[in-house]
Amino acid sequence: MQPGNTRREFLLLGGAAVAGAAGTTFAASDTQPPANVPPANVPPADAPVVREAPAEFGGFSRWKPTFGGPPTADHYLGKLVPGLRGLGLAPVPVEIPDLPKLPFKMVGGVKEFELRCTPVKREFLPGYPMDVWGFNDSMPGPLVEANQGDRVRFIVHNELPEPTSMHWHGLELPVSEDGVPGLTQNPIMPGKSYVYEFDLHQAGTFFYHSHMAMQEAFGMVGGFVIHPKVAFDPPVDRDFFLIFQNFHIAPNQTISDSMAMDWNWHTINGRSGPFTTPLVVRHGERVRVRLMNFSPMQHHPIHLHGHTFWITGHEGARIPPSAWVPRNNTLVGVAQATDFEFVAFNPGDWIFHCHMVHHMMNHMVQQVGPRIRDDSDVSDYQNQLATRPRVRADFTTDSGFRTPGYPQNMQHMHMGEEMMMKIMHRREVQGMRKMWHMGVHGLMTVLRVLPPELYDLVMNSDEMVMPGTVFDRIVKGDYAKDYQQ
Amino acid sequence: MRTRVFVLLALAPLGGCRNVPHTATCHSHAAASIRQPIPAAPAPAVAQTAAPRAQVVPASHAQPDLTEPATGPLVERLPAPAGAPAESAASGATCAGMTLASIEDMATTYNPTLTQARTQVDGTLGKALQAGLWPNPVLGYQAEKIGSQGTAGEFQGGFIRQEIITAQKRRVSREKYLARAKAAEFGALAQQYRVVNDIRRQYWRAAGATRLVTIHEQMVKNAEDRLVTVEEMFNVGQSNTVQVRQARVTLQRTKLDLLAKINDRDQARRELSALVGVELPEELYGDELDESVPPLTWDASLAYTLGESPEVREATAKLESDRITVERELRQPIPNVFVQAGPGYDFTDNRTVVNAQVTVQPPIWDRNQGTIQQAHADLSRQRAELCRIELRLKRDLSMHFKQYLTAQQHVESYRGEVLPEAEQAYKARLKSYKQQRETWPMVLDAQSELYQRQAEYVHNLVTWRDSQTLIEGFLLTGGLDAPQNPTPPGHIDATPQPR
Ligand SMILES: [Cu+2]
Repeated sequence: MQPGNTRREFLLLGGAAVAGAAGTTFAASDTQPPANVPPANVPPADAPVVREAPAEFGGFSRWKPTFGGPPTADHYLGKLVPGLRGLGLAPVPVEIPDLPKLPFKMVGGVKEFELRCTPVKREFLPGYPMDVWGFNDSMPGPLVEANQGDRVRFIVHNELPEPTSMHWHGLELPVSEDGVPGLTQNPIMPGKSYVYEFDLHQAGTFFYHSHMAMQEAFGMVGGFVIHPKVAFDPPVDRDFFLIFQNFHIAPNQTISDSMAMDWNWHTINGRSGPFTTPLVVRHGERVRVRLMNFSPMQHHPIHLHGHTFWITGHEGARIPPSAWVPRNNTLVGVAQATDFEFVAFNPGDWIFHCHMVHHMMNHMVQQVGPRIRDDSDVSDYQNQLATRPRVRADFTTDSGFRTPGYPQNMQHMHMGEEMMMKIMHRREVQGMRKMWHMGVHGLMTVLRVLPPELYDLVMNSDEMVMPGTVFDRIVKGDYAKDYQQ
Repeated sequence: MRTRVFVLLALAPLGGCRNVPHTATCHSHAAASIRQPIPAAPAPAVAQTAAPRAQVVPASHAQPDLTEPATGPLVERLPAPAGAPAESAASGATCAGMTLASIEDMATTYNPTLTQARTQVDGTLGKALQAGLWPNPVLGYQAEKIGSQGTAGEFQGGFIRQEIITAQKRRVSREKYLARAKAAEFGALAQQYRVVNDIRRQYWRAAGATRLVTIHEQMVKNAEDRLVTVEEMFNVGQSNTVQVRQARVTLQRTKLDLLAKINDRDQARRELSALVGVELPEELYGDELDESVPPLTWDASLAYTLGESPEVREATAKLESDRITVERELRQPIPNVFVQAGPGYDFTDNRTVVNAQVTVQPPIWDRNQGTIQQAHADLSRQRAELCRIELRLKRDLSMHFKQYLTAQQHVESYRGEVLPEAEQAYKARLKSYKQQRETWPMVLDAQSELYQRQAEYVHNLVTWRDSQTLIEGFLLTGGLDAPQNPTPPGHIDATPQPR
């Protein structure tokens, strides 16, 4: 099948078949599959197409870089270009890479969820299980998905050794359910449970968290999405939720220091790059990313490569389209969320990251000592505890030291073979360049925009894909010519 | 506990100071040849103290020609150096270094103060011999009244005069000097402890200093690395010129510390050589600092020190001597009898006659009362002296025991906890540095901390060994000070006829 044909078929077929496919891709993550529960709001695969997406978008193409202007135009930079799945449908379920979703049961017309406040060992990177707190043995906690108009009940069990309380961030609810210790309720004592119940009349991106400050810094947060009955227009094909966090965990330590003012471990949905699972989408899909910052005290300038995104909402509410802002880097402050929307017109593996340099890798350390000395290796020190090696005093003859500022190259955390196996053997990274992980650290993940065949190869097959082959086909293969037309 | 018999008085004839004749090298095992073969004595069963105790065994040396042989601690068993094997000297001078035992054996031969101590015993024994001798008779020729009645005189003849020592003054005098000889023997034993203690203390110092040199060499390498690290940081703006200069200062100070340790080590070895009385090889030292030894307790150590100290026993012997002195001086007023007699010829009567004369010196004015008073005073003084020595020992022991205990507590804790923990900390930092989680200055901190704790451990080891040596050796030091004269100042002493 020629790529061009594929695209044309997509256009001709409209959204129905594609929407079904989109709904099934989520299970492809082999590292941490989401809880196998009925999502709050999954449209059935055979959901009726209310109306088809328009075929024409002015000067904008969903398949290649185009301007689509002028800035006042509806399709300027893909602003109001719908996804492939069609209009008038219920929203697609939210995908939250590397985290589970919270199941519920219907009890007397109320959606009832259970949350346990628990200590968590979270593997930030393979081989680095860190001690934090979260919910239901997960940090961040599982994603809550509900619909506008639902009545929800949360039974919260405190399995921590100290009091806690639960706050529903951004929800307009009775004050008795707001979860502020002292102010609105007594804390939930260790071993005790507490029930919150309220109606959801809002729609958008929210979250829940402990309202004890240090517990918040220690990881106690989770995402909370309230879907409208019908997907917002223009509808998206894919809807992701990412939680950005900072921790301070000293060397030779696994327990996070919530008192810290300086942060050396950075996680997206509880994992650091390159262990963060890429967001894999089909070429041409309209994508939403709900990006929430739950760091203790630092803001994140979030940058997406290769695309211009529209800011369509923040925590609490969707923004009217007239107020949307196109950007490629936007600051997400502490306890804020931003909804990014864009049409994935540009195939390839695109870095999606916080631009604060200190968040672009874990454990930045001074680049001095044996790690930058030609003739030196730490193993020599490890093997000679009693009589350490003598340092070469004429190091400045190393040519690099004639240049003030040398070395700027920051060597990354050592990754053992086992660690690399875990990182490289996920479906989501198949076919990426061999050394792709070199550039993905800390608060970084990858947006992979794949033509449908390659998407299927990567996400819907068991085939071993050689490193670099998918990337090469995009850069050098038939697609390249086609997309650049 | 391993023990060794230490023979003091069976010394080989001495030839003064000398070098070890190509003996103390690791190849020839020559140190063994210097040593006299001495059987190891079994350790005495002493329930209340773990400290080794001196033990009196029969004397084996040639006695002066005396009716009553001086008894005394002629052969003493000294505490063996910790960890020294029983046949240490015989097999100890291996390539690993000279053992403490082999060095001690050399000292028994070459330390001159031991000779002095022995000769002082001999000298005092000589006094005892002299004090017991009879005074010589007087022989003479006598002519009386020459010219009487025109004759050659009333008496022409010879005579013999003998002083008869009354009241057993000779015997008492001899007993007094034998008591002093006993004191001198305890003094000699004390000197033996002084020498051995000094040798051990210097040996521990030398062994410790040798280790400290190695540790301080690592500290210098650490400081060199710090300087290089600060210079590396300088190039990326993470340090400034001040910090570079400060790192240079630190490096220089660390180097000076190393030099001081080297000087200390060399001085300790040289002092040890002086104590032994021979030039010791520079490099060949064993290191028994770590060997385990039974712990001491305060009560047992105090009982051991007061009960067995050569100083106490010497003072006790002197007290006995002073008691006898009083007895002797009380007998002094009892007059000796001078008997004189001789045959002669009376030319006036033309017959042979015999002249006889008995003389006494009645104690009318001089009843020896002044010297008796002095002897009583000396006796009282010596009683107080004994008490003083015991109290001084107790005071000094309290200080050394405190040092011993503190050092021992440190050694145990450093062995069991501090050093392993410091090493693990350093290892952990190295590991996390390798993982790119740790900074190099932090690694250097942990490394430096390990070296500092190692140095402290060695200091405590040396203090521990030092104070244990002193406690087990009755706190005696001064292995190159001349042994004290057995007759203390203020005592009645030499007269033409010692008494
Ligand atoms: Cu950031």
